[in-house]
Amino acid sequence: MNGAVQNVAHLPITAEVAQPPKRPARHLFRLWRPVKGTTSALLGCLGFVAFLIVWQLGHYQTPIESQRFLPSPLQVISALYVLLTQKGYLGDVAVSLGRIFISFFAACAVSIPLALLMGCFAPVRAFLNPLISAARYLPAASFIPLLLVWFGPTDTQKLALLFLGVIFFLVALILDNVESVQKELIEAALTMGAKRRQIVGGVVFRAASPAIMDSMRNMIAVGWSYLVIAEIVAAQDGIGAVMMRAGRFLKVDIIMAGILTIGILGVLTDILFRLASYYLFPWNRKRTG
Amino acid sequence: MTAAAHALAQHAVTEEAVIEAAGVTKQYNGGKFTAVDNVSLVFPKGQVTAFVGPSGCGKTTMLRMVAGLEDPTSGMISAYGAPVLGPGPDRGMIFQAYTSFPWLTALQNVEYGMKLLGIPDGERRSRALKLLDEVHLRDFANHYPSELSGGMKQRVAIARTLAQNPKVLLMDEPFGALDAQVRWEMQEMMIDIFEQERKTVIAVTHDIQEAIYLADRIVFFTCNPGRIKKDILLEFKQGKRFGRKEDMLLLPGYVETERQLFAWMREEIKKQ
Repeated sequence: MNGAVQNVAHLPITAEVAQPPKRPARHLFRLWRPVKGTTSALLGCLGFVAFLIVWQLGHYQTPIESQRFLPSPLQVISALYVLLTQKGYLGDVAVSLGRIFISFFAACAVSIPLALLMGCFAPVRAFLNPLISAARYLPAASFIPLLLVWFGPTDTQKLALLFLGVIFFLVALILDNVESVQKELIEAALTMGAKRRQIVGGVVFRAASPAIMDSMRNMIAVGWSYLVIAEIVAAQDGIGAVMMRAGRFLKVDIIMAGILTIGILGVLTDILFRLASYYLFPWNRKRTG
Repeated sequence: MTAAAHALAQHAVTEEAVIEAAGVTKQYNGGKFTAVDNVSLVFPKGQVTAFVGPSGCGKTTMLRMVAGLEDPTSGMISAYGAPVLGPGPDRGMIFQAYTSFPWLTALQNVEYGMKLLGIPDGERRSRALKLLDEVHLRDFANHYPSELSGGMKQRVAIARTLAQNPKVLLMDEPFGALDAQVRWEMQEMMIDIFEQERKTVIAVTHDIQEAIYLADRIVFFTCNPGRIKKDILLEFKQGKRFGRKEDMLLLPGYVETERQLFAWMREEIKKQ
């Protein structure tokens, strides 16, 4: 290279090699520093333990005559055990689970195609979106009298209430998922000669599906919160009905056992959706390491 | 130099024209903003053209109109004498954003466009594998895009486009999101592909060196409204393309060309 590039790698380093600087001791509460996985899990468990201790202390602090209004965690668990082994509680749990899943999947079966069409075709969106956005502000519980008149104290009434509780939010969330699909994916398919149908089903839906699954996971949690409302009024079976009956006899341990059951089932549902997402969309797994 | 370049450009036009744009104008907001103003261009078969110019000068809009993703407000674009009415697989497009479908493996991505064309299974598979070879991704055939680097994702998109055997290859800043080393590797790979496939290519780029290296001809855009400032053939390359970028740098005329393009760019930026 006519000496234009001179290799200077052989030149000696003249600066003295300094000792590595002493760093201050690691501090758990440094800003924006992540904690290790095990530390994180440990802290999570600690949160639960702290809650149970506060609960137990609250129970001890309550005067004996009113301790039944704040049973201890152990009493609640034993109430749950009695419910399960002697009161046919599993049947009620099954009824509640059936109501949640049937109404929720019916709502999905309507809202997914609807939101997909709204997201892909501006006229459909313009036609339906104001109506659906407004409907979101209607409190689901306000439909109870109407549904009782229409369907009576039946399962249909409860399914309809749970359906109405989630459908409008589902449409709004899934519409958002559909509209978030990267426009270039659609344009790339267009330039390859894909037809409208192939783009709506084969590109937009495929691209949005993990996000749709997340929306479903979040909305079924809301479905669980409507369950008790649905089963408080005119219900003979289901977790909510068991809790209402216990309330009439001031059996707070059973009410709390009901709350605990719904909490556990909610967590399990969440895990179920996450697992489904993991196996349905292997292409969307977060890279680890 | 510019006069001579124009004479050569005129000569090239007499060959078979693949894409013709006649008086193309694109306006937005009901005529308030003119992105492309009365542009006429002819793209001869086998020529690699780069659209160069400052941002917002209608380069990408012009390319998208050739692709059929946008309609001209007035004027006409035709491909092989027939008017362009929409996008189609005869004009393959490569985008700056990664467009390999994340739910398909690299191999399935490359097969996607061929599936749309109705190419039978066996032929599709073997052609897809051959193309993955060409873009150096044979070992990653069964990987999803989420497992690939940015440059690899872009190579999947390139192979997918080539798989449909488009007569025209449109590239909208295809390497804009890549780091310098990957960009350079991709440019050299594109030269190999241009040589093998003999495509008519239109590429939009901000990168002056990239334009000089890849293109046979540079169309320089000017802003507000988007018009053609200069249209030159890179005659210093004597019709050659170089597999190794550094082989081009010592050619007489290279430095002058690059200097000229930087001067035009500076003129345009000063005007803003």
